[in-house]
Amino acid sequence: MPWFQAQMAELQRLAEEYALSQQQTASNIVNVSEKMRLKRAEFIDAVQVLVDKIGKIKGISACAAYHDGLILAQSAHPAAIDAFGATLQESARAAQQGAALLGLGELEQIVIVGAKNKVAMLSIGPLMLCISSPKQINLALALNRPH
Amino acid sequence: MSNIHPLDTRKSQSGEIDAILRNLMGIQGVSAAAIVDNDGFVTHIQRDSEINTDAIGASVQVVFGAAARAAQHVGHHATNMVICENAEGFILSTPVEAGFMLALVTQRDALLGRVRFELKETIPVLKKLFSHYLTH
Repeated sequence: MPWFQAQMAELQRLAEEYALSQQQTASNIVNVSEKMRLKRAEFIDAVQVLVDKIGKIKGISACAAYHDGLILAQSAHPAAIDAFGATLQESARAAQQGAALLGLGELEQIVIVGAKNKVAMLSIGPLMLCISSPKQINLALALNRPH
Repeated sequence: MSNIHPLDTRKSQSGEIDAILRNLMGIQGVSAAAIVDNDGFVTHIQRDSEINTDAIGASVQVVFGAAARAAQHVGHHATNMVICENAEGFILSTPVEAGFMLALVTQRDALLGRVRFELKETIPVLKKLFSHYLTH
């Protein structure tokens, strides 16, 4: 499996494990609380690691992860980080409406291509990963050559 | 035996509340995490520097109360979280149970989405812990 798809699959797995830990019902609330906390940390730490790795890939301008349009993790040199969040919220809302109308299923990714730059937004559990690059960069190729 | 179990349970629940606060302190930019009771007194706190706990407790309750009244005025019903954005950071406060609040103080470099996500995910379990804690 190409590097980026493998990373995304791993994050989806961690997100699902965290979601499962939230559904646990146990008489010992302390144990449930601790397990949820650890699973959440595992998921969020993995998101931060991936954001850092993507931010270092040649050709990628910035990478950040958002929750409800608010910044959750960012690469070392982010640009217009709040504008990213606002764009993400607006785009996701429009895309979700469109996806529902067309029966596309749950939203997985959105790509906006401008004359100069482009941005890809990918859904990971409750979060959205945003990756921006110059327009001419082939994101699929760049993301599968992390080193 | 029956007299000992509740005390152990209460101790482990209080320990878990402290563990949750320590976990929140591990987030980038968070400088204090506290549980404040209905009267503005701090019952649990984790912090990375000297901080006036009485001032935090009282101000969190006052600010949250004012925000909750403002929300009622505009028909927004229950207030789930209040975020104060200040020159040097943020103060976030969220109701837990029976008038108790969870308050976080952050520096300017905190990632608001990260802190808010952690708060939103933490509150349901804190509510359960508190309801057990207050009834045992």
